[in-house]
Amino acid sequence: MRCFISFMFLQESLLEPSVPDEHLLSLKFVFGSSAVQALDLVDRQSVTLISSPSGRRVYQVLGSSGRTYVCLASCHYCSCPAFAFSVLRKGDSLLCKHLLAVYLSQVMRTCQQLSVSDKQLTDVLLMEKTQEAS
Amino acid sequence: MAETLRRVLNSGGAAGPGEENTAEAEPPLLLLGGHGSGKTALLFAAALEAAGEGRGPVLFLTRRPLQSLPRRIGAALEPLRLQKIRFQYPPSTRELLRLLCSAHETRGPAPSLLLLDGLEEYLTEDPGSQETAYLAALLLDTAAHFSHRVGSGRGCGLIVALQTQEEGDSATAPQLALLQRYFPAQCWLQPDAPGPGQHCLRACLEPGGLGARAEWRVTFRQDGEMTVTPWPTQAGDTSLHKGSSSGGQP
Repeated sequence: MRCFISFMFLQESLLEPSVPDEHLLSLKFVFGSSAVQALDLVDRQSVTLISSPSGRRVYQVLGSSGRTYVCLASCHYCSCPAFAFSVLRKGDSLLCKHLLAVYLSQVMRTCQQLSVSDKQLTDVLLMEKTQEAS
Repeated sequence: MAETLRRVLNSGGAAGPGEENTAEAEPPLLLLGGHGSGKTALLFAAALEAAGEGRGPVLFLTRRPLQSLPRRIGAALEPLRLQKIRFQYPPSTRELLRLLCSAHETRGPAPSLLLLDGLEEYLTEDPGSQETAYLAALLLDTAAHFSHRVGSGRGCGLIVALQTQEEGDSATAPQLALLQRYFPAQCWLQPDAPGPGQHCLRACLEPGGLGARAEWRVTFRQDGEMTVTPWPTQAGDTSLHKGSSSGGQP
């Protein structure tokens, strides 16, 4: 994912308690309004890395609406409608705010961690189909 | 698995071991072609190749059991290699998703190659882009998980075969463009003018910027023997893959 390159220079400053304004501006320039929303998600501890004894991992992000979305960061997928619309269909966004929040969490090395059983991880990966229907 | 396919295609040609064993993971590959273009045969050849490497079992997913083992390359089928190929037949999209989502639950040696034949059969219920992307992402994630379990080395490869429509049929074009975003490496198979008693294909491998584009001629004889030769390069040779695809290289 090309946008990882833009994180390289942000990495150091994002580990500081407060992000310098010029880097916030850079984030907004590259990612648009998603940037602020994504940072907000990170601040509110809305990103959770779920893992099981198998070593398989998946991200779950609590959206602003209260719904949780499943994000596969390594292969660039989010179950939210904005991803389907802006990223996949229209192609005018690189990612949604949830995926950006996941990437930011990875760079800042901060997110909730949750250990579940292998079976539960399967349900998390599958669950998002039923979430779409509800 | 562009490199494995390259090795399969190279090994059928002139003498020579073909590519070196690379230590890095190989990119997932989308194998594309019309009906009867030899996708299943090539997938099976890749399965045998990987099974012979002794790195782990091969997982071959397809909707319906293969009616007969596809025509094979060169040397006789080795029973030992066949034993290392595990076939599974998820009958529906939902079952395929369940299989992929629960792939981490099974213990034992992780597969060194994950193959899916007939992706189009799992996309027939007119899925939206989200469902298609979800399936593609899960395939990638499952292969990535197997790679993680394999540990060092080339990890687990992924080749997915998708039947493409005839030129002019734009029904699958958006899905194809979407899948190409998740699978940067592609290999196109197109029928070539047959010789007497032969069925010929042109295989064009586009590794997605990670290697050189290469082409081969794949020939199936009446007796089922499959031979592969590098496609002769000639000045003015037109590119084959622009025909049926609306998505090109980024």
